[in-house]
Parts: sequence; C-alpha cells; structure tokens
Amino acid sequence: MSVVCAFLLPGSPLPYVQRDNPPWGALASAMQKAGSALASVKPDTIVVYSTQWIAVLDQLWLNRPQVSGVHVDENWHEYGDLPFNLRIDTELTNAIVAVTHEVDIRSKGVDYDAFPVDTGTIVAANFLDSQGDCAMAVTSNNVYHNWDMTYQLGRLASAQADKLGRRIAVVGVGGLSGSAFRHTIEIADDHIANDIDDDWNKRILALMEAGAADEVVQLAPQYAAEAKVDMGFKHCAFVFGALGGQFSSATVHGYGPLYGAGGAVVEFSV
Amino acid sequence: MSKGEIVAGFLAPHPPHLVFGENPPQNEPRSQGGWEQLRWAYERARQSIDELKPDVLMVHSPHWITQQGHHFLGVKDLGGKSVDPIFPNIFRYQFDLEVDVELAEACAAEGAKVGLTTKMMRNPNFRVDYGTITTLHMIRPQWDIPVVGISANNSPYYLSTEEGLGEMDLLGKATRAAVEASGRRAVVLASNTLCHYHFSREPEPPEDMSQEHPQNMAGYLWDMRMIELWRAGKIKESFDLLPQFIEEAFAEVKSGAFTWMFAAMNYPELAGELHGYGTVIGTGNAVMEWNLVKAGLAQAA
Repeated sequence: MSVVCAFLLPGSPLPYVQRDNPPWGALASAMQKAGSALASVKPDTIVVYSTQWIAVLDQLWLNRPQVSGVHVDENWHEYGDLPFNLRIDTELTNAIVAVTHEVDIRSKGVDYDAFPVDTGTIVAANFLDSQGDCAMAVTSNNVYHNWDMTYQLGRLASAQADKLGRRIAVVGVGGLSGSAFRHTIEIADDHIANDIDDDWNKRILALMEAGAADEVVQLAPQYAAEAKVDMGFKHCAFVFGALGGQFSSATVHGYGPLYGAGGAVVEFSV
Repeated sequence: MSKGEIVAGFLAPHPPHLVFGENPPQNEPRSQGGWEQLRWAYERARQSIDELKPDVLMVHSPHWITQQGHHFLGVKDLGGKSVDPIFPNIFRYQFDLEVDVELAEACAAEGAKVGLTTKMMRNPNFRVDYGTITTLHMIRPQWDIPVVGISANNSPYYLSTEEGLGEMDLLGKATRAAVEASGRRAVVLASNTLCHYHFSREPEPPEDMSQEHPQNMAGYLWDMRMIELWRAGKIKESFDLLPQFIEEAFAEVKSGAFTWMFAAMNYPELAGELHGYGTVIGTGNAVMEWNLVKAGLAQAA
C-alpha cells in the first residue's frame, strides 16, 4: 500500500502563529508530534486536501514545481505572515489529474506565480515538514463535491501513488465543530464554544481511536449538521478514501479550541 | 470642515472575467474580449464617477471573508499581485492602491459604537482579494481615488440571512456616520452578483460568448424582477423580497454588500439607473447607479 501514514489536522493558523497561548500551544505541540511521526516513516510525498482552498468549477491541484511566498490570513492578519516553500510532486499530481474523470470529476493543474496557497495547506506543511524534506501534492475543496466524491478523490490519489511507487502521507486539513466565537475573546480562555459541539467532537474522535471507520462514516452527516463541522467533514472523507475506508486505530495527539471551533490532530494507524 | 456625504451608490459586480475581457496592462492573461455588455455598462458608470468627483471609493467585497468581525483595509499603500484562487487562468492582477485609512478607522470605530466587532487590517503583506480589485478596476481603472475596503463578515451564512443582513444594515449606518463626520464625498460600491447559479465547466476559450447565457430561467426572472423594482425606485419592496430572492436565486447579495450600501445611503426610494446587465458563466450581473446628487439628496462637487 502506498499510504505510509495518515493524519487529520486543523487548518487554523492560530497554533502556528501564537503557540505561546496555552490552548493553541497544545495543538501546536500535537502538530509537532504528527510531524515527528511523519518523519519517522519517511514518505516521498505528502498528499494534502485542504478545506480552505475553495474551488468551484473544477478540482484544482497545485502543479507548479516550486511554490513559495508569504501568505497573510484573511481573518487572522494581525498575527503576522505565513511563509511557505512547497516542492510539488508534479508527476504524481499530473497522474491524479489525468484519472479523476473516471469518477466524473474534472481536475485541473494550477501553475501560476503568486497563486494564493491557502492557510491550511501552509500550516500543515510548516508543521509536518518544516525542513521541506518531502514533496507535496495539494488539492482543493470543491464546494459542490460531497463526501462520496471526495472519498473517491482520496482513493484515486492513493491508487496513483501506488502505481508510481510513491510512499505517501495523506493529510486532511480542516476543522471539527465549526461554532466559532464571533466577538473578540481573551485568547487564554479559548474553549470549545458549546457542550454539544464538544460532545460530538469527542464522540467522533473516540470512534477513530477505536478504528470504527464505518461508524464515523455513518455518523458524519449528522455530526456535520449538528456540530457545523468544517465543510461537511470532507477532509476526513479524503483521508478515508486514501485508506480504502479502513484503519485499525488512531491516536489523537491533541484536541482543543480554535476561537471556539474544534480542532484535532489525529494520526491513523495504517 | 463641511459635512461629508455619500454621493452615489453602485451595484458593481466583480466577475474577474470583466477585467480579463478588457485586457488592462495590470492583468497578465490576454483575451479576445468578451462580456462587452457588462464592460460597456461599466464605461457608463465610469463617466458618472468622473462627474461625481468623489474623494473616496468604498467597497464591500464578498471575497474577503472574515469570521471574527467586519474588517477594514488599514495600510495606506497596498500592492502586489492578486491571483484569483478560483479563476487563476484569467485573473493575475498587479494591484497598487491607496487606502483612506483615516476614514476606514472612523468606520471601524462607528461600527464598534453600534455593537459590531470591527478590526483594522494592518499587515502590509496582505493580498487584496479579487472582488475588491475587480470592482475598483472596473469602476475607476485609473486608481487615482483613495479607497476603503471592507470585508464580508460571514454572518449571513453562519447566522440566519436576516440576522446577517441586520449586521450589514448596522455596518452601513456606521459607514454613513463616519463619512458624514469625515467631510469626504464618498461613493459606495456593492460588489455583488445577483442570481449566482453558474455553470460547472468553463468554455475554451473562457471568452467564448457563444456559451454565455443565464444558467437558469428562474434565476433570470428573479434578476429582472428585482431590477424592475430598483429601476422604479421601489427599494423598500425590493428589500422585503430580498430574503426570498436570496433563497430562490442563490443571490450573492446574501453576502451583505447590497444591504450595506443601501443602509449607508439611508434607503432612498430612488430609481436606479441600469447601466447594463449580463451573465458571466451563467450568473446574473447588473451595473446600476443610484445617484444622490442628481436626485437632490447630495451636493454636486
């Protein structure tokens, strides 16, 4: 199997830009643990699906060999810049782009100077592979795609990696519950916005820890609706697709608030 | 200092295709034209801007989305290349704009007074979104008038449409108060498409106008119904219908710019001038002007 490790990560920049704030620092430490786990299995390529890269017409994939620059988050601009330097696995990317029509999805490569790489992708890359040892394949969240379509994208990404002999890390970047505080808060007091969201997040994470993939899939629509989960939890669908819908267990390296919304760092046992 | 005032409001949609069709030097991709009805509509709007002689152009853009509050550009000189994340093939624009920071700060302060969460964007590396740039380019390609850029807080999507638009109403009123205190002559720009149903595939080339038409008839009929009301000056009636329009036509006015603009103008029951209507990948777009000077509601320059 091409997938040597798999993760869910939050795409919020807050743990990256303000890790001295305890609630966010805990998630930053969890992200670093995920980075260490990734480094230990030495993947060739990190395949990222990020909910924050919004696509509308097609399924977009970065296919510029080197993508670098400085990004400023649209909402959290006061915390500073997000530098990035990504080496793209264009061979794998092009192979995936070429086959998504099999599941009735038209894909397109993106190869433009100054293309606005999204915050989630940058945060994931900087935490997981701060030295840039791995190549990356990065794709978008087409807002008209559902769970099943996104699952198929993950499956195809894994299959193409297999064909090319790539050892890949699969990363779904996105949040859990989505009830964020809409007013300014004392960031040291950040917490999950409400108990219903908190309970849902913990229930889903416990199922992941138990390796109960089918139950997660079954509950995902209800979870997404009742806990306002980031983009319908499609980042999870992508990872599950890449894993063929199965994993034996998962480790939750961290779970916590991101301005009221939920975020977790989850490593799946593959 | 004399009392400032809002001299006009424009419905000024932001499909990047309009910039692409015009081929200005700032935009890298080249086209054979396209979307002329809308581009010519903007030419007429540009003439009005010439006559109005505003001190500042204020734009509310649905493509600068913020979750925590209503944000305002707060760096005097912003520049760089803005690439549309959705249509990077047609919009890669080198922008260079001057922000009226003093007025932006006043708007933020007035917004806070009425209970809104507001925030100034002070990061000089910030990439201005393509909605802000497209609207500003199409209305004033010379870029010689300072601007106030306002984000679209996602409240209409996160809360209910009515609650969210209630926030935009407050934001518009706060904007009006700030403009009046500033002594500026301001034009307010609602960067919104109407019916927002669109095709899922782009023609090749993108400017192939043989492929351009409304995505669906129901949305088109909704657009015409609303435009008729606006042309007749039936503004209150149009706002009564706005939630239904948003729901049934997936109208982008949900993001709040249109409500913000009319609140800033104090909801005049004034006939708007339709400069033009056209579709862009099937979405409905109108360039319309409510000229408060011509109506005697604001002073000529």
